[in-house]
Order: sequence, then C-alpha cells, then structure tokens
Amino acid sequence: MPPAAQALQVEQHDDYFCCRFQAMASPCEILIETADRQLAGQLGQLARDEAVRIEHKFSRYRDDNIVHQINHSHGTMVEVDDETADLLDYAGFCYELSEGLFDISSGVLGQAWRFDGHTAVPDSASIKQLLCYIGWDKVNWSRPWLALNDGMQIDLGGIGKEYAVDRVAGLVQQQTDCSVLINFGGDLYSSRARQTGKGWHIGIEQPEYTQSNKPMLANKLLEISSGGLATSGDARRHIIKDGQRYGHILNPLTGWPVVGAPCSVSVAAASCTEAGILATLAMLQGEQAEAFLDTQQVPYWVVR
Amino acid sequence: MQLNKSKSIRQLLTAATSTLLAGTAQHVMAEEKIPWQVDSAFLYYAEKDRVTVLEPVAAVRKDLGDDEFIGVRLVFDSMSGASPNGAIPTDTAQTFTTPSGNSTFTTPAGETPLDDSYQDVRAALSGEWETPLDEHLKTVIGANYSTERDYSSVGLSANLAWDLNKRNTTLTTGISMSHDQVSAVGYIPVGLTAVPTQSGVQKSLQSMEESKDIKELLFGITQVIDPKTLLQFNITLADEQGYLTDPYKILSVLDNNGQLRANDPYIYEKRPDSRRRQAVYLKANHQFNTDVVQASYRYYQDDWGISSHTLNLHYRYELVGGRHYLQPHVRYYIQDKADFYHYSLQDNNIPTYASADYRLGDMSTTTLGLKYGLVLGEFHEFGARLESMKQQAEGDAPFPDNTAIIFQLNYSFLY
Amino acid sequence: MKHMVLLTLLLLSILQTACSSMGVEPWQRGHLAKQKMQLDPYPIDAFLDEHIYFSKESSKGGSGLGGGGCGCN
Repeated sequence: MPPAAQALQVEQHDDYFCCRFQAMASPCEILIETADRQLAGQLGQLARDEAVRIEHKFSRYRDDNIVHQINHSHGTMVEVDDETADLLDYAGFCYELSEGLFDISSGVLGQAWRFDGHTAVPDSASIKQLLCYIGWDKVNWSRPWLALNDGMQIDLGGIGKEYAVDRVAGLVQQQTDCSVLINFGGDLYSSRARQTGKGWHIGIEQPEYTQSNKPMLANKLLEISSGGLATSGDARRHIIKDGQRYGHILNPLTGWPVVGAPCSVSVAAASCTEAGILATLAMLQGEQAEAFLDTQQVPYWVVR
Repeated sequence: MQLNKSKSIRQLLTAATSTLLAGTAQHVMAEEKIPWQVDSAFLYYAEKDRVTVLEPVAAVRKDLGDDEFIGVRLVFDSMSGASPNGAIPTDTAQTFTTPSGNSTFTTPAGETPLDDSYQDVRAALSGEWETPLDEHLKTVIGANYSTERDYSSVGLSANLAWDLNKRNTTLTTGISMSHDQVSAVGYIPVGLTAVPTQSGVQKSLQSMEESKDIKELLFGITQVIDPKTLLQFNITLADEQGYLTDPYKILSVLDNNGQLRANDPYIYEKRPDSRRRQAVYLKANHQFNTDVVQASYRYYQDDWGISSHTLNLHYRYELVGGRHYLQPHVRYYIQDKADFYHYSLQDNNIPTYASADYRLGDMSTTTLGLKYGLVLGEFHEFGARLESMKQQAEGDAPFPDNTAIIFQLNYSFLY
Repeated sequence: MKHMVLLTLLLLSILQTACSSMGVEPWQRGHLAKQKMQLDPYPIDAFLDEHIYFSKESSKGGSGLGGGGCGCN
C-alpha cells in the first residue's frame, strides 16, 4: 500500500474535524468537535498510533507479536505482559459469564468453516475433532503464565476492534474535554454530548434483505451522545447449501453456526467492548436475541 | 446460556470492563432517529367542456419501531365546471332549475344538458395504524372522514394479515364500514317526481337529508412466486343500504312522438335502496433486469345488473443511470349497464327505478398515460404524470364521449 | 352473501395449500424489498386514480378496502 494511503487524512466540517485512517482492516475515523485544527491532528495521530499498536500486538496474522508466540508455543508456558494479561483475564471472565459461548480459543473452527463463497459445509466428524482443541477451560492460565495445549489457538479478533476504540477513547479523553466520536468500522464510542446538547449522527448499514417485504432505509440512523456501540452482523458472510443458510457466527460449544440468528445486532453500552460482548452473545442466542437483550436492559437494534 | 436463569449479566460485565479499561462512559445515551416519510401530490383533472378538479394531497407516515407504523393523509379537492344532469339533448333549447331551485339555466338546442351547480370543495382526512400482533400476524386499523357542502362520510376499517410459508404467502382479511350523509342542496327530492321547470317552484321533498351505510369484506392472498415475481388475489364483497340515488340527476320523459312530454318533462332519478356487489381482483408484479411490470385485472358485478372488467398495466422502464424512470400506463375498462339505466323514459311507462346517469350505462373508459420519475435519494422522489382518459358509450344509448386529461405532480421526502 | 363468503374461504384455502411449496428464502428477498416491487408502489398515484374512476364509473374496490365516500357518484 502506498504510504500516502496509510497516512492520516484530516477534513474540516462545519463544527468538527474528521480524521481518517485505515487500521484493523477497517476504515477508521475520529470526529472531534473543535475549531482547533492542530488539536484535531494531534488526536487523530494519537488514535491512529494506538489503533496500529493494538493491531500489531494482537493480530493473529502477524508473526512478530505475543499472539503468534502463544499460538506457536506447542504447549509450553508463555509469559505475557500486563495489557495482554488484563485481556486474558477479561476473556476468561466473559467465558464464565457466558457459560462458554464467548471463547477466544474458538478460532480454530475457521479451519473447517470457510465463508469465502464456497458451498462446502464441513462434515460432523471434522467439526467434532476440532472441538477437542476448543475451550477456555482447557487452557492453563495463571497470570502472567499462559499454556495452551498443542493444537489450540487464541484469537482476540472478537474483541480487538472494540478494545481499540475504548483504549483510544481513554487516551483522547485525557487530552481534551471536547466531544469526540471514535468509529472503527462501525464499532464506536462517543465521549459526551456535543455543544448543541445532541449526539453524533451515525448510520448502521442495514442488510439488503430481511424477512419482511418492506423497503428499508439503507442505513439506520442513530444518534449517540455517550457510550459505546458495537454491531454484530451476519448478512455478508454465509454459506447456502441445500436451501439452508449457515451464518458465520459459530457456537463454540457445538462448532456449528447459530440457528435463527438475526441479520444484525447493534448494542449500546457504557463502553464499546461491553457493547461488543453483548452483541456477540445476543447473536449466539439465535431466535432469543431480543429476549436476551431485553433482560440486559440496554438499547439495542436487531434486524432479522 | 439458558434464559430461564436470565439474570442480567450486564452489571457484572460492566464492572469487569471498567477494570479492563480506563474512563468508560457514565451512562449510555443512544437512540434511533426515525424520520417521517412525507408524500405529497397535486392533481389537475380537466374534462373537455365539463368538470375540472384540482386536488392537493399530503400524507405522512412514521415508523414507530418494532414494526409499528402510523399514517395520516389529508386531501382537498375543488371541483368546478358542469356535469351532465341526465337529461337528453333535444332540438329546442331547454331550461332547467338548479338543485337549490332558486335559479335556472338554459341549454342550447342539440347540446347535452350540463349543470354547473355541482361545484364544490371537499376535504378528507384519514388515518391508519399498523401494528404486529404476533410474529406472523399484523393488523391495520383505519379511520376516515370527509366532508363537502352536501355530503359527508365517516368510516372505519380493520385488516388482518397473516404470513405463512416463510412469509411467502400472506392471507389477508379485512372489514370496513362507513356511514355517509347526503344533505343535498335544496334537499332530497322524492324519486321519479317532477322537476320544477320554473324557479321558486317547490319540488316534492322526501327529506332534508338521507344516509347510507356501506359494509365491505375483503379476503386476499398474496404469494411470492420467485425472487422477482409477486401475485395478489383478492375477493371483495360489499353491501350498501340506504339512500343510493343521486339527488341531482334527472331523466327526460318523452311522449309517443319522441318529443319531451308537455307535462313534467323531467323527473328525478330513483335507484334501489340496496346494493350488493362483488369483485375479484388479480395483480402481478414482475421484474425483468431492472424494469418492473405491474398488471392487474378486476371483474366486478352487482345486483343492479352492472358488471365490468378492468385491465391495468404499468411498465416501469428504468432509464440509463438508474436515477430516473419512465412509466407508461394503459387502463381499459368496460361496463355493462345497470338494469334500471335508461337514456330517456317513455310517458306511461315509468319503471320503479330509473337513472339516466351515463356512468351507469354501457360504456368503456380507455386511459393512456406516461409518468416520469426522478429518484433523488432514499424515499426521496419527484414524479410527473400525464394521462389521457376517454369514456364512450358502448351500447344503444347515444350519450356523448367524455374525455379528460389527468396531470399529476408528486414529491416525496424524509423529514 | 353467506354462500359467497364460504365459497371464497374454500377457494382461498385451496390456493393457500397449493402455494405452500412456492416462494423464496429470506436471503432472496433483495428485489422484493424494493419500493418498485411493492404491491402498492405508488400509493398516492393509486389513491388519486381510484378517486377519479370511482367518480366516473360504477365499479368500486378490488385492490383494497374502504377509503371513504364522496358525493361525486
């Protein structure tokens, strides 16, 4: 990618600045309500640096980071730093809380399920075999030492982007009191309401089809004043075979896609990370997504 | 995760997350902004030498979330010009009294008598509320009210739609009831009695106002055939009771020589006080590449002896660029007359019911039109439509053609 | 009238049984969800036309219910 495309783009609007960059395979932007171009540029750079740092540190596609070290440890113990330890503690807590539905060791299912346009549905035997390598309960985690069984992998992709949004939010809020909106490819966070008292207007892309026949707006319009918002979506990547649709949200306990999952779930919560966990868990409830979110008493939008 | 344990995990999650992160929000404030859908139009309808109608319409619709909707529509129509009163042309000039009885007007020899006292302004308000009752069942409740100088109507309707077969099949059933009040200018004349030929002379009065009640029942099925084809089939049954006559329309009574009889040459029309009607309707939508064709057929019949066929065809032709379209429209309608329709009556042979209103006769209506639509954005469109309508007699009654142009501008947007 | 209602219900139930095998999967609804493929794609046009033909002809109804009367017929 040419250097220019990786750079930070700063645009001025009526009453805010918008800084754009590419990170974590998503278009990222940070909107800052200020007239100070220099401040906007600084915060934009801050956001980009942090996003890139997190991507480099936790991406499973790199061969020079802690995740690679862990995934190639072949059963030996790996010592992790505080930030990684905090994330692993959090992942473990979510695993317990969700009774196994949220599991960062479930990434190996990607070896069987390829949602890349092929219509191959894996057979039960290969999935059953993979289940032997899935389960946080099989992991030996004793801070700061982590030992995975040989063949197991961890994947922080499920919370990486949301965590980055919140980390950037924390750093930015130390620098300014201005209202800021951080948006990393649909996972976002707003620090506080704008000068007008209103929030930031954002659009959530609607799937092209739904069960009902009604025409819909291409984007659902939300106004967010404070808090995080994350969307879990199923519309793009799926396999259709024999008239059955297999979405890409996989249940780590069964190894199969969730039956009756909605097209998309968006949840608003105090932080983007929390919103992301709730959105993922809601998707995994399939038909019961709305009921689950009602119990959690959070603002949510489910499209079926 | 079993839901019967359904405790809120949220508090625990929030606590854990704020341990992980620094500086999470105090509270969550996020809400969906659902716009109003506004639809507006202006219609100009002009018959050749007869009636002209100007009709502005404005409708708004709001998605209230959870598949609940409300809508309101307001219409005004202003009608001016003259309509045939039912009398036939003769080879001498004719003089008629207006419905109020206070003045007269004269029609030259050989011309179809037209009465221009139907001019009026009407306002109509209707509302609709749609809400789901169940995952596959929804209901639409409607109410409407309209008023004009000599007529008012109040109605309610309720509709139920049931989705089956993965929502490929929808069964609908609906019922509507309305109560109309006719308070004609000059009051309601007794049917088949003489029309005063001089102003100031009182007509035989039946009452100051009359009413009618209409009940309608609908059964329908909508079926998705394939990803680009949709079919709808409806059966409608209706029953009207009450005053169904047009208090202003008259008939010419002729003697044995074919001339207007000397005494009481004109009498008021009289229609039965009950009408049962049935209609079956079939519509199909099909998309080719990007163009869409919509075709419909309706067969109608009632116990007045009227039966009709209506064919309607719209073809939406997407223009290059995809932002605008042209839509030609063809409509053909053919009707068999009511049993009591007469072009004119014979003296000494006045039936129980009679009307010379050409709209009850053997006739056809042919419409050709073209619409241009410009899509400016989502639910944001501008349209202009121009159509030509021609009505002509199809039976023995030689009533003249009625031609009209229909011109409509419409604009819809989100607010 | 009662006969008509019963006949109608019978006809519709036959149609419904015949229709149960036809249709599309939820993910094939892209085209059907567009405004131009709705059963009533131009509601205001249809409403205005219905009013014109109701006042110039003797047939009423078919595509929907009610709608209110006017003194024009």
